[in-house]
Amino acid sequence: MSVTPAEWAREMAQDAERYALGGAVPAFAVRPAGAVEAAEVVRACAADRLALVPWGGGVSLEGEGRPARYDVALDLTGLDRVTVYDPDDYTISAECGITIASLRAKLAEHGQELPLEAAHAVRATLGGVLAANAAGPRRLRFGAPRDRILGARFVTGDGVLAKSGGRVVKNVAGHAVHRLLTGSRGGLGVLLEASLKLTPHPPARVALAFGCGAAALADAARWAPFARREPAVLSVLGRAAASGLGALDSGAPFTCVLGWEDDGAWLADCEAFAHGKLGTPAQRTEDAGVPAIWQLLADAQETPGPRLTFASGHNSPAALAPLAGRACAERLVFHAPSGRLLLWPAPDEAAALVAELAGLGFVPVEARGLDLPPAKPPATVSALRSALRQALDPAATMALGDWWEQSA
Amino acid sequence: MPLTPAALEELRALLGEGGVLAGDAALFTYEADGLVIEKARPEVVALPRSTDEVCAVVRWARAYGLPVVPRGAGTGLAGGATCERGGVSLSLNRMNRVLRLDEERMFAWVHPGMVNLSLSQQLAPQGLYFAPDPSSQQVSTIGGNVSTNAGGPHCLKYGVTYNHVLGLTVVTADGVAVTLGGEGCDFPGFDLASVVVGSEGTCAIVTEVCVRLSPVPESVKTMLFDFADITDAGETVSRVVAAGIVPAALEIMDRVTTGVVEAWVQMGLPTDADALLLIELDGPAVALESQVGRIEEIAKAHRARSVRVAKDADERALLWKGRKSAFGAFGRAATGFYVMDGVVPRTRVAEALATTYRLAGEVGLRVGNVFHAGDGNLHPNVMFDAHSPRQQADALAVAQAILRECIRLGGTISGEHGIGIEKRSMMAEMFAPEDLAVMERVRHAFNPDGVLNPGKVLPAEGDAAHGYVPAPVPAGAARPGAEGPWT
Repeated sequence: MSVTPAEWAREMAQDAERYALGGAVPAFAVRPAGAVEAAEVVRACAADRLALVPWGGGVSLEGEGRPARYDVALDLTGLDRVTVYDPDDYTISAECGITIASLRAKLAEHGQELPLEAAHAVRATLGGVLAANAAGPRRLRFGAPRDRILGARFVTGDGVLAKSGGRVVKNVAGHAVHRLLTGSRGGLGVLLEASLKLTPHPPARVALAFGCGAAALADAARWAPFARREPAVLSVLGRAAASGLGALDSGAPFTCVLGWEDDGAWLADCEAFAHGKLGTPAQRTEDAGVPAIWQLLADAQETPGPRLTFASGHNSPAALAPLAGRACAERLVFHAPSGRLLLWPAPDEAAALVAELAGLGFVPVEARGLDLPPAKPPATVSALRSALRQALDPAATMALGDWWEQSA
Repeated sequence: MPLTPAALEELRALLGEGGVLAGDAALFTYEADGLVIEKARPEVVALPRSTDEVCAVVRWARAYGLPVVPRGAGTGLAGGATCERGGVSLSLNRMNRVLRLDEERMFAWVHPGMVNLSLSQQLAPQGLYFAPDPSSQQVSTIGGNVSTNAGGPHCLKYGVTYNHVLGLTVVTADGVAVTLGGEGCDFPGFDLASVVVGSEGTCAIVTEVCVRLSPVPESVKTMLFDFADITDAGETVSRVVAAGIVPAALEIMDRVTTGVVEAWVQMGLPTDADALLLIELDGPAVALESQVGRIEEIAKAHRARSVRVAKDADERALLWKGRKSAFGAFGRAATGFYVMDGVVPRTRVAEALATTYRLAGEVGLRVGNVFHAGDGNLHPNVMFDAHSPRQQADALAVAQAILRECIRLGGTISGEHGIGIEKRSMMAEMFAPEDLAVMERVRHAFNPDGVLNPGKVLPAEGDAAHGYVPAPVPAGAARPGAEGPWT
């Protein structure tokens, strides 16, 4: 072991209180300045059987329960450099502590974007967004972090600094450890640097917000043709969720937000189609104003309070019909193209809701701030997960894991 | 070692009479995939019809200590389906159906033996298709596409196979079926499917795939330009994308390729051109007209000598004919040709191309380049006399030197073909030992005793016997470590 906890405490010490999770305060908090130093911290933790939580901006850790073991907070915000960026390559490599907002600013100078939709982008870091596989309203059209990542440098749970993938947009050389770490919530190792695929700014954008009652929401035939037009966004907000969101507040029981990003002539055609199907929008935003609307939708996902998140194969707002008129519908957020549903239920109705929605094809993926242990995965999946955990984090250094990990 | 009749009887009892091939002629058919220089005969060929039968085959093979090597159409170019250590060639071709189609939600569960193009043809009445389109799509299977994470000319806009896989049912090394992911996006838990895709059958055997489907584009526009200087073609590509237009395909053929293609198909291609650039746009008709105009302007500003825009499907097929004939033309122009699959960052394409000409020229060989210009995926074809062992060795050495250059320029040794046997030794030039060790750990978690496709992808003992010449490492110079430059 090349670094002792006492040495970190001297050289990289941070205020440990800032890194409390569910009331648990780590014994140490360290903020390394580079990948090698970060790897040393993980290696030292593994050697000393200390449990570690990697930290970015803390967005995905909000509402996190108390970890069973939590000794060290590893703050990665000191790793915030862009390491390789030649705009004509349409890729970028950056250290994982960089914020999404800084990345966006850098890319905007060249008319490019990284369509990762992090809530609270000013605070959210690249590493946090990757570790959570956090996505937003444009998930289906532009992909989740798992679709954008090309390669990564990381440290395994036992402190081995390694990399996989690369920085070119097509690459099938070797096992895609970087994709496995994406969405693993820091359960297998720590992402330190990543390469991602970029897109050019679209020629035009439009966002339309429609007020919508329960009957309109349930009209499956009305929504069906939209999927073939591949909207960038088709999100539904409950009345309370939309309230106070300015451009998204229709005052109706539901606000449906439709958006396209593409050629201008095609957008005009889609807009006319939407008018024909849904009437006149309550709000219309175009071009430069649109990203702010998408950010509002992403931020809505991180509304504080006990939250249930579901994945599904549904792609129509009509899938929400059974929830209309119910208290939980007031604050729902649903991104139809990717089937993701978020609810903020009263704690005592959460378990019943999970059971009911399971019958409707919604698979729970997270229960934040709710005492709701997930159903165990099938034994075969459990066995593979445990084998991977054992392979990459043999000393159980990583204190968090995926949702199923917490139930194990 | 041939299997005992009793053992074969057991397998026949599991799969039925038509499910087992053990005769000499049959085994000969399965001794190689598209990498024909690597031959090894399996002990038996198993042709299961269901996930349950695949489970049964894996358990049977375990009982006899045999490795299991999954195989689709055998079009792979890297030896991934070759039974290098004997054992069972597990052919998934009888599992070739669409199991369930959800037209509204635009996904389908399909068998791995389904041919890529057949899937899209079958979905055409519903106005849907499967976007990944490797050049082998008329023959190659969805399972093979998943195992190599196949790309294709249209992956610039639509992404590679991984981006179109929602869920998988796989059979593990224990012979147990597991479903990973599902019918929607981003299911809970570690993304195990993300490792299986592209693992070339070394982690699990894919037996059912939930694929994401796309609406068939309303309109397609195909354009062909020719340039006196290939750098102008490259610059046109950059400016088109910078204008916010993401074409469905951006393909370049160099002068050598145009020459061999024209000599074969005689379609009037300008053989004096340094580069032909094919651009295909797809999407709503209303969007494409203006984009065609913009692209023509950009190309002319970069000294395009001629522009052809296909007016209908027949003309479109004609413009593609040159590109699609390239590999056949190489096969006709020389008795042997060796195709590579390196990728470089887009800004380094011109440099990489120049290197291919220089390296081949130094040993008196010809190389033609045909490549996906939008994503920097080069396919240099080194032509040689297959009757000359010396030329064949030279071609192999040039190929390796080209891939080495791809690594040096920040790229990779394979963009879509896979590593298999062919390029596994070069993995040690692209990755540090600790990188490979971590990959090995991940594989070991899935496939602890190596029963599934052993020896592929990661460097193996005895690679020198396969014609691999390690890179000269100057005395005292370290291999790039994990802390070293980003690959």
